[in-house]
Amino acid sequence: MSGIIDEPLLRAINDKYRIFNQMIDREMLEADDSSSFTFSAKDNLCTKEFQARAGSKILEGYRPPFDATPVRKLREAGGLLLGKTNMDEFGFGTFSTNSGFDIPLNPFDTGRACGGSSGGAAAAAALIEGHVALGVSTGGSISAPASFCGVYGLTPTYGRVSRYGLIDYGNSLDKVGLLSRSIADIRRLLPVISGSDPKDPTSCTQPRLEISSKKIRRLALPKEAMANISPEVELIFRHALEMMKQELGISVHEVSMPSLRFAMPAYYILATTEASTNLARYCGMRFGVPEKDVSQHFNDFFSGVRSECFGPEAKRRILLGTFCRMVGFRDKYYLKSLAVRQLITKEYRTVFDEHDLIVTPTMPFVAPRFEEIAKMKPLEMYSADFLTIPPNLTGLPHLSAPCGYTSSMPVGMQFVAPHWDESGLISMGEEWESAFQRKNPEVAQ
Amino acid sequence: MKIGLEMHFQLPTKSKLFCSCSTEGAEPNSHICPTCLGFPGSRPSLNRQALEYGLMITKFLNCELHDRIWFSRKTYFYPDLPKNFQITMYESPLGEHGHYMLNGKRIGIWRVHIEEDPGRIKRVGRSGEEVSLIDYNRSGVPLVEIVSAPDMSSPAEARDFVAELLVELRHLVGLSASDEQVARCDANISVGEERVEVKNILGLKNLERALNYEVSRQTKMLSAGKEIIRETRAFDEERKVTMPARKKEMEEEYGYIGEPDLGEYNVGEFARGIVLPETPVRRAYRLQSQYGISAVTAKQIVMTSWGMADLFEHLCLRLEPEKVVPKLLGPITSNWTAIEQRLDDHLRSQICRVIEDDINGKITDSEARRAIATIAGGGNHVVEDRVLVEDELVRSVNEFLDAHPETVRDAKTNPKAANSVIGHVMKATKGKFQSKEIVEAVRRELEKRP
Repeated sequence: MSGIIDEPLLRAINDKYRIFNQMIDREMLEADDSSSFTFSAKDNLCTKEFQARAGSKILEGYRPPFDATPVRKLREAGGLLLGKTNMDEFGFGTFSTNSGFDIPLNPFDTGRACGGSSGGAAAAAALIEGHVALGVSTGGSISAPASFCGVYGLTPTYGRVSRYGLIDYGNSLDKVGLLSRSIADIRRLLPVISGSDPKDPTSCTQPRLEISSKKIRRLALPKEAMANISPEVELIFRHALEMMKQELGISVHEVSMPSLRFAMPAYYILATTEASTNLARYCGMRFGVPEKDVSQHFNDFFSGVRSECFGPEAKRRILLGTFCRMVGFRDKYYLKSLAVRQLITKEYRTVFDEHDLIVTPTMPFVAPRFEEIAKMKPLEMYSADFLTIPPNLTGLPHLSAPCGYTSSMPVGMQFVAPHWDESGLISMGEEWESAFQRKNPEVAQ
Repeated sequence: MKIGLEMHFQLPTKSKLFCSCSTEGAEPNSHICPTCLGFPGSRPSLNRQALEYGLMITKFLNCELHDRIWFSRKTYFYPDLPKNFQITMYESPLGEHGHYMLNGKRIGIWRVHIEEDPGRIKRVGRSGEEVSLIDYNRSGVPLVEIVSAPDMSSPAEARDFVAELLVELRHLVGLSASDEQVARCDANISVGEERVEVKNILGLKNLERALNYEVSRQTKMLSAGKEIIRETRAFDEERKVTMPARKKEMEEEYGYIGEPDLGEYNVGEFARGIVLPETPVRRAYRLQSQYGISAVTAKQIVMTSWGMADLFEHLCLRLEPEKVVPKLLGPITSNWTAIEQRLDDHLRSQICRVIEDDINGKITDSEARRAIATIAGGGNHVVEDRVLVEDELVRSVNEFLDAHPETVRDAKTNPKAANSVIGHVMKATKGKFQSKEIVEAVRRELEKRP
């Protein structure tokens, strides 16, 4: 039997926290004798032995004939795939509560959400020792759950990791990244999953990834970032900044980035326009959703399947995205958002002229309770991402690191680096990790 | 009358536009992969050869090329479209503002772009019980779309335009010969003010028929004082009429966005580096002006075959064009099919020698005709023998004449003097030749001597 994981413990963890929607079985685990570490894949990454449903009922039964490139690369590096982690349907959410399957529960308090959309991935990283979770971020789906679950979550530069085998949300925004308890695992495995892949043309123009430990000296803190931060998060975050100054000798400078406030509307327009075209193929005809009444006209068949199998958030985003690319609105919304994206990218570049990284809290509050989420309006939920969206919109690499605890719930802070400078983020993570006492959640035996 | 066309042709690449599946049809759904089936997680990567062919066509049509291009998603729902969007080019075609000279008339070209084909639906079974089967072998096959200005003024001209363009493109990028049947056109036609679009016309014959039908329909309506409404119509091949297309079907809202998986391509340098080969119509123009032959002849030579035009130019290196033309259009044309099948350097040089000998009077026209027919029809060695043998006769005659200058002198005044030559050659060639052949050869060779 594989010595790298205790199967009954894994099962017990999953029963309690609902990390996986499909999990390795005892037989598969016993057959394994060569793996050196365990990893998990978010449900929107294709793997041969599990269904790939991206958290959606509309892909029920779909078993891809191929492995996603990052999954394949981790296997080749000696990784054992434990299962497919729960997520918001197609990545549409901030709390992993929009899942067509199980909703993962926060490792620090099962009455609270894990964050999303890579909620299961963050919980797996927090709860399984020596584990690295493959997450995917479109607007902050690695940072948000990493922050809520108290782990490190690295979102690489757009194009650094091949998206081949990733079920698309917004192709110009989607990025595969890593979540783990320790920055060392990220440092070790990021180069493994990175690199150009002819099957994903957008990965083919990247410079080589070289990770060297360099001293981070100057951080920028956009003053716009501190609006709407809850008092307890602000307190912990300020305390972390103080620690960085005192113990690591890093200076923090307040800057102004006025264009950041345009990031959220631009992001939701671009992400949903792309999503609305990506989701067009899910009509119950070629994969997923077997056994429906095929005697109808195809339009009725498609509509029936889509009405029944898409969740409400997916429908909302399809409608929003379709609206934004229709004649008459396309110029006003879609094309305008592309211009906004350029503008924000330029503003970031100016800040990076004089600073190594940009630092902000990751999320404006700690992981909310499920009953709080149930009361939130869509716009409130979307607003929770206002700090994770700007680096995602501009394709900049970023790292969420745990930075303290309030009422035993973790708080995260987010570092943003210039394009292709994952090395700077890892250096920062290592410096921080050496000074900060991270807590593991208590795991039921 | 104004007619404008949107034409779709398949680019002759081995693999599809965005994946490495073969473009050859075969058993239904035998050449498919996750990418051309639009499986979740699969993505496109561009076929460089298809891009190059597209750029060649764009350049050939004198379009302004863009340095930077990108693809777009055109979303619509139809069972044969695996992703329920088609990857095409929208804001950024390969080129725009071009033109094509059709018999000296300038036909504007509005734009040229490349895109993927959807799959194909086949309905089988009895009406009422029929089922739809889908073959995705075509899904992702590269197409070029060429949009012309409404510069054609008759259905015949529209047909000529497509036919001539096909000839040119076939040579330029190697479109397959069956393209005449599969050329897909949408035609815009206005007899009066308002235009009507006829969609999805397959093949040249149908194009002309559909347009002719529209001309008479619109003319009748106008003369009856009725208004022509701007609409989209479909051509019914069986009944040879156009009919209003269902509105729902045609008034699609495609909601174009950029294709984020492919990004942008800087093609400026690549495009500038492409050198276009000469195409048939252009070659005909050149032959006409360079060799001073008629336009009709030039076209006839080139359109018969590229190899015949080569042969013509080869012959003109040493012979006068006006003398070459009758030989080419006579014995060579009548044997062309056979000749072309086996045309190589060796055969070409044999033909050249015969034509040269004919023009130089070494052999008669009928001999030349016979020689060409033999070359075309017979095995190589037979042909070679015949020419060699004829050479032998001439050589033998001349050997004797060289050795007997007095006979040459006598022969000027006394026809019978030639008899001694004939007798000698008959003996020397051991009855290989008929006396008539020898007599002719001797007379001919004597005439050549001063």
